[in-house]
Amino acid sequence: MLGMIGRRLIQLVFLLLGISFLVFMSMHLAPGDPASVIGGPNATASDLEAIRDSMGLDRPVLVQYFDYLGGILQGDFGYSYQTNQAVTEAILTRFPTTVKLAVASMVVAVVIGIVAGIIAARKQNSWADVTSTTFSLVGVSIPNFWLGTILILIFSVNLQILPVGGLNSPFYTLDGMKELILPAITLGTASAALIARMTRSSMLEVIRSDYIRTAKAKGVRKRPLIWVHTLKNAMIPVLTIIGINFGSLLGGTIVTEQVFAINGIGRLMIDAIAARDFPIVQGTVLLVAGIFVVVNLIVDIVYTLIDPRISYD
Amino acid sequence: MKIKKSMSLVLLLLAVSLIFVGCSSSDSSGEGGSVEGAESTSEGSSEITYATTSDAAGLSPIDTNDSVSSNVTYQVYETLFTQNPETLEPEPLLAESYETPDENTWEIKLKEGIEFHDGTPFNAEAVKYTFDQLKDPDRAAPRASLLEPVESIEVKDEYTVVLKTTEPYGPMLAALSHTNAAIVSPTADQEGDINKEPVGTGPFVFESWEEGNEIVLKRNEDYWREPAELEKVTYKVVPETSTAISMLETGEVQFIDQIPSDHINRVESLQGIEVQKAEGTRVSYLGFNMEKEPFSDLEFRQAVAHGVNQEAYVSQLNGLGLYNESIIGPKVFGYDEEAESAGYEYDPEKAKQIIQENGYEGTEVTLLAANRDNYMKMAEIVQSQLSEIGLNVSIETMEWASFLDVARNGDFDMTFLGWANSTADGSELLYPNLHVDNIGASNNVRFDNSEFNQLVEESRQSVDQEVRKEKLHEANLLAIEAAPWVVMEHGVVTVGYDESVEGLVVDPTGMWSLYPVSRK
Repeated sequence: MLGMIGRRLIQLVFLLLGISFLVFMSMHLAPGDPASVIGGPNATASDLEAIRDSMGLDRPVLVQYFDYLGGILQGDFGYSYQTNQAVTEAILTRFPTTVKLAVASMVVAVVIGIVAGIIAARKQNSWADVTSTTFSLVGVSIPNFWLGTILILIFSVNLQILPVGGLNSPFYTLDGMKELILPAITLGTASAALIARMTRSSMLEVIRSDYIRTAKAKGVRKRPLIWVHTLKNAMIPVLTIIGINFGSLLGGTIVTEQVFAINGIGRLMIDAIAARDFPIVQGTVLLVAGIFVVVNLIVDIVYTLIDPRISYD
Repeated sequence: MKIKKSMSLVLLLLAVSLIFVGCSSSDSSGEGGSVEGAESTSEGSSEITYATTSDAAGLSPIDTNDSVSSNVTYQVYETLFTQNPETLEPEPLLAESYETPDENTWEIKLKEGIEFHDGTPFNAEAVKYTFDQLKDPDRAAPRASLLEPVESIEVKDEYTVVLKTTEPYGPMLAALSHTNAAIVSPTADQEGDINKEPVGTGPFVFESWEEGNEIVLKRNEDYWREPAELEKVTYKVVPETSTAISMLETGEVQFIDQIPSDHINRVESLQGIEVQKAEGTRVSYLGFNMEKEPFSDLEFRQAVAHGVNQEAYVSQLNGLGLYNESIIGPKVFGYDEEAESAGYEYDPEKAKQIIQENGYEGTEVTLLAANRDNYMKMAEIVQSQLSEIGLNVSIETMEWASFLDVARNGDFDMTFLGWANSTADGSELLYPNLHVDNIGASNNVRFDNSEFNQLVEESRQSVDQEVRKEKLHEANLLAIEAAPWVVMEHGVVTVGYDESVEGLVVDPTGMWSLYPVSRK
């Protein structure tokens, strides 16, 4: 087990190295010059040259990349072209906000998704099943952007019970929770729908298996049958989905943070891409990629806890 | 049994949401977190919160060049001169008076007894320091070009500064009124980072900046004029326009600006919200790549100009655009009413005829449009209008950063662009956009006409404002006739604010000062 974790962490280093190269090159070779964005449309040719020169963008791309890599190895991820803020500082001040949002949405997604999935699977083709499957279909199809706007119009503008935007108070205060509700639902709905579908089909598969029939025949009561025997065995594929989804939730925060005026990693990333702020883009992409890999590693570890038959040694 | 359970789940959820409703109506102490909290602080308040679509790039006038940053620096720093929004003439602000002993010398007397927020005295040394920094190639100031013709900055005495130019520089006062030519505290700039902690002489003092979230300014109690009415100003970053409007409606913010045309009706319909619209200095145009066939042919450009119906486009902007054929707009120095209808009027028959006579029927052209502002809307309308006169138009859309590069390098047939014109001076419109010096930079259409170049140079070099106006008018007429641009619209600047806000006036350049603003 420890060996597996060690191997995966070593893989992670190489993976991040590869990603850093790809991101660096794709940003530098893509059209769009950071100097034009900083200078704006009214900057003259000499203004632009001076800006490029001051940022070191006139050097060969490979030289710039190894320079960047050298910096990373010393913990220096560079400085934002736009604000001159250190990349690590820009990320660290926003990261807790995004984690707060992603975790809250994951809670929404897991609770709603698993409950809806179980309800649907317990009696296939009942009205509860139809409702749950419809919810799944609609939930997956609704764009975040639209859902967020509609929720704001209903709960903030018309009912006036929740704030429109921002995520500024600590999550354990009442204001903090009220701020979290709409963004968490917006971001979590699609994952909830996906988890519900996966839970339903996985449960149905397990319910039809021989050992459940045997358990039923031996007179195991309904509640332990569903919650212990079926659910636990149906959880493996659901966990995989949750793990992958957590990674894409971090990507999904881009839209949600935009709609709810939340100052997180997603918005930092999208603003940086639009402004060709290379150091920030590289830093955030590395962070999201790293988290994705680590979350998947955690999921792999949790497998062994749920299903003792799985072993990595 | 099953139904009972799911019912109880629904009831539980309902109960939880009711608790939230109950809590929120009894809670009024929260600051901005709850809707009621925001409203309770807004009554009779001397604070204002403004929603900005993006964060400032920086807070130093020397190191930035974007309107969002300017909105903040404009309240913290001050310029030597300022443009009177009514007359469009520059008036002294930090300056007391000026003289031009010869056409290459500007002797500027400064006001006495003014201090920067950090206590540094405002004097000729501070002006020299600021302008030297603005011109320093190592600092790479984005608007270094504002003072390009300035050769030296000398301190004559404590309150007199002398600017020497290499050639006569007509728009000097307009350049010195530009927010990017605001005077900074030399001490603060040398000892700290004014891009993060700005120090100027203005009516508001910098308080805090949480990057990506909000900037807070406080009233300058020791301001050299009467202190401002507002005690506290918050710039809140709200990227989504519809969210910002919702916040305006619920009272979380009291003030928004640059309202897009597809949202203006919603803002105008809100109760308790005032909307101000005023003619602006911004011009948007359809530009031809003058170095490419067939756009280099005047007759082809004339045909396109006759084929474009700007009225049809402007009518879709819900009043947020005005049509006028002049390149120099009515709110820009150098405008003359004669230019209003000097362009090629909409006449599809004539356009078709020119196209046919010159064998341009079915010519394939690409219309490059950046996917922001109103450019996509323009592209769709113009595409259909031009296909009616016999051209085969396809649209290529691009995201802004890529677009800037492509446009600068001249890799396009026709494109849409705009010019905000923050000095409201015609020279600062014609020189960057259409003068040969700026091909490869801001002269995207690569227009090069020697007579025009001459006129623009004269408008820049004369220090007699009457002469300048005449030269600009001539250059304007010449450019309208040569048609490197077809004007699509002249902008309308907008602000939407809570009815408790008083004294807010938006400039034709879209800038606003919070100095005269109060809350009732």
